[in-house]
Amino acid sequence: MEKKITLSVKNLKKVIGRREIIKNLTFDLREGEVFGFLGPNGAGKTTTIRMLVGLIKPTSGSIQICGNNIEDHFQEAMTSLGCIVENPELYPYLSGYNNLLHFARMLDDVGDERIREVTELVGLTERIHDKVKTYSLGMRQRLGIAQALLGKPKVLILDEPTNGLDPAGIREMRQFIRFLAEEEGLSVLVSSHLLSEIQLLCDRVAIISKGVIIRVDTVQQLLENRERVVWHIDPFEKGKQVLSSLTSIEEKDDRTILTDFDEKKTPEWNKRLVEAGVSVIEINRKMPVLEDLFLELTGGDTIE
Amino acid sequence: MSFLNKNVIRSITVISVLFCLLWLIGLGFAVGEYYAGKPEKVPETNTVSKKVENKKGLTILALGDSLTRGTGDETGKGYVGVLMDEIKEKTKRPVQLTNLGINGQRSDQLRKQIREKEVQRQIQKADMVLVTIGGNDLFRGGQGLVDFQAGNIAAIEKKYLDNLKFIFEQIRKSNSKANVFFIGLYNPFIELNQGKEMSKVVRHWNYDSAEVSAAFPKIVFVPTFDLFELKVNDYLYSDKFHPNSKGYRLIAERVASLLTW
Amino acid sequence: MNKLIQNEMMKLIAKKRLIVIAIIIGILVMLFTYAQYKQVQTQREKLGTSDWRTILQQQIVDTTNRLSSSRISDEWKKQLQISLQQQQYYLDHDINPAEPGAPTFMRIFLESSIDLFIPLMVMVIASDLVSSEHSLGSIKLLLTRPVKRWKVLLSKYITLCLAVSLVIAIAGILSYAISGVVFGYKGWGAPILTGFNVTDTGLNTSEVKLLSLWKFLLMDFGLVWFVSIVVGTLSFMLSVLIRSTAAGMGVMLAALISGAILSNMVSSWESAKYFFMVNLRLTDYMKGTAPPIEGMNLSFSMMVLFVWWAAALLVSFIVFTKKDVY
Repeated sequence: MEKKITLSVKNLKKVIGRREIIKNLTFDLREGEVFGFLGPNGAGKTTTIRMLVGLIKPTSGSIQICGNNIEDHFQEAMTSLGCIVENPELYPYLSGYNNLLHFARMLDDVGDERIREVTELVGLTERIHDKVKTYSLGMRQRLGIAQALLGKPKVLILDEPTNGLDPAGIREMRQFIRFLAEEEGLSVLVSSHLLSEIQLLCDRVAIISKGVIIRVDTVQQLLENRERVVWHIDPFEKGKQVLSSLTSIEEKDDRTILTDFDEKKTPEWNKRLVEAGVSVIEINRKMPVLEDLFLELTGGDTIE
Repeated sequence: MSFLNKNVIRSITVISVLFCLLWLIGLGFAVGEYYAGKPEKVPETNTVSKKVENKKGLTILALGDSLTRGTGDETGKGYVGVLMDEIKEKTKRPVQLTNLGINGQRSDQLRKQIREKEVQRQIQKADMVLVTIGGNDLFRGGQGLVDFQAGNIAAIEKKYLDNLKFIFEQIRKSNSKANVFFIGLYNPFIELNQGKEMSKVVRHWNYDSAEVSAAFPKIVFVPTFDLFELKVNDYLYSDKFHPNSKGYRLIAERVASLLTW
Repeated sequence: MNKLIQNEMMKLIAKKRLIVIAIIIGILVMLFTYAQYKQVQTQREKLGTSDWRTILQQQIVDTTNRLSSSRISDEWKKQLQISLQQQQYYLDHDINPAEPGAPTFMRIFLESSIDLFIPLMVMVIASDLVSSEHSLGSIKLLLTRPVKRWKVLLSKYITLCLAVSLVIAIAGILSYAISGVVFGYKGWGAPILTGFNVTDTGLNTSEVKLLSLWKFLLMDFGLVWFVSIVVGTLSFMLSVLIRSTAAGMGVMLAALISGAILSNMVSSWESAKYFFMVNLRLTDYMKGTAPPIEGMNLSFSMMVLFVWWAAALLVSFIVFTKKDVY
């Protein structure tokens, strides 16, 4: 069953000066999913996110949040949106509570009760009356999330949510985001330049490079298509000849050969090698990672 | 965090709003008042209060022209200042000086000045009045040297004497007790070509001034002509008209010798 | 909107700017009080009297003598003549132009701080209202709420107006409280004259009015408030336009100081009167001193300030609502 679409982006474009920063982005977010936004620095992730939350005006295209276009119905659209753009930059000279109060006042009917709820949800109850400047980065991040959740949004947009967190913090954040999506039914959009993070966290991924979405798919599907086989053979040159006559190959530096995985054909290739007098030392089925995929898709665009 | 209490913030906000309104009213007031055509309450010219405050000290009033001001004295004191120093030395009482001398003042201007309410009040308060006047009537900044022989000098002197009489009358009217010292003229041009003729005019001028002074009680004419008669240039400032420090000291000493306690 | 203003007030108070400003004003008032006290004392010593009439008479004669000097400029001469005529008028009507007491001190303090000091204090608040949100990054949170941008800015602007009112009140209260220790707290009812008209021929006294000092003070406060609002709005605009608080402050500071310098020497450059900074000395019109440029009067200056104010406000709102936030 198709789940409800909460955020819909169509033909989004942004031109600054003469440069087209964002070229025709189209994608949807569904209820209860974590959507990854993956691209190297400078690919246009931040610009896109800022357009989604209304900080930057798109040159053309439409953004709808829960059915409300953010240009004509800014207030309604923003009511169902929570976000942290880059670091959660709250007021350091106010206490955590006053920060929440500040943002609660900008929403309709968010009272003390809700402030207490979100404080508890992110586990800041003990320190909530301390000034934010005394908080660690992780605590600020959590306060940022609490702030984003105040208005019970349907869509949560998080720009680089694990930036600057320690490994434990990253794991905690990951669990929390999964919890929000699975238990609370939120749609979460997470941008990152870290592949591993997206791979672990997201249901679906959009890969963006130079302002264009190269591919949108579920993480699983993206990976399935790209299962590879590593051949370790001897003698190398002869085996390579045999394999290349059968399928497209890729020679690796460590004198192994990479081919696509195909359940029917791989045993056949093995047989042919043996027949040709090549000893197969190792056949290894390799689960692909997004990194390889990304490099392939973007044609070697740099990424960390 | 009681400091950031919601109620504290609310009350500060309310106070600010009240002040904001108050200042707005003030602004409205200012604009209204500035453009209100006819003044409703025109200030009246007050008469001088007759009440003389009890003084502890000695009050000295100096009236007149640049000589009273002390122009030409490098120390800036003038004969009044030097005289003050001497009086302060001799008496134990505090001395208060009001110097109302104005550079270039002529007798008709002094006549006008003396009619001012506040000046009258000052006269009334004074224990002693010092007056220098007439130099600018006669010499007119050196012009007098050129045309002193013409007949109009007589007309000028007549006007001057008339003014002088009025001034003395006013002083006596306001204050019948104070001693008034009227400083006579010297001839700064005595060593010039027509110095001799000029001296004659000055002597005559001084004589008539002394006559006017004599008509009033306690108004003393103080001659200075003789002080500058010899070696006049030793006692004149570089403008060859006003006395220098030494010249002022001469005048002050002469006045000081006349003081009674 | 009320909630938004509460927010801005909360931030303003938490930043403790107002307290800093109050301390600065307090220190300055103390210095001023001491200077004034010293001045009165030396004057008394020099003239041997504390009778204001005698002192005023002496001042008049001194001014007259200065006027007779050939070395002073026509400009200065005219100003001296006007103040001379005014002093004479006060004397003739037996009104002390500076009745001793805290209210008079307050008046003098306001009049001398209207073109630089109070605008400076206002600037400290105004210039970081918006730019600090940028430098903190909190602007991103502020503008992604379901609140229209113009409302956010309006709440900030209203807060600025309230803060300006408060700063002026603080200046008033502190100057009264501190100077009163030395000069006494009485003197609200002292008479003061207003309505002197400076014309080409000199001072026109035909429309002079007698006011109580408290009323005059209220008017002074109103004018100071107006000037502060205008300066505050201009700093506010810079705060919207320039992301860096320091740069905004620098620009405003340069403008204010150049105004103070300009008004002493622009008499021959007539179009300079359209600058806002030479029009700040509104209280001088109430007092009746010669304007820096001929043809300037209260309505002219207020009009110029009003136009600058409106333009600044318009620019602020247009830029703020349209600008992309990076």
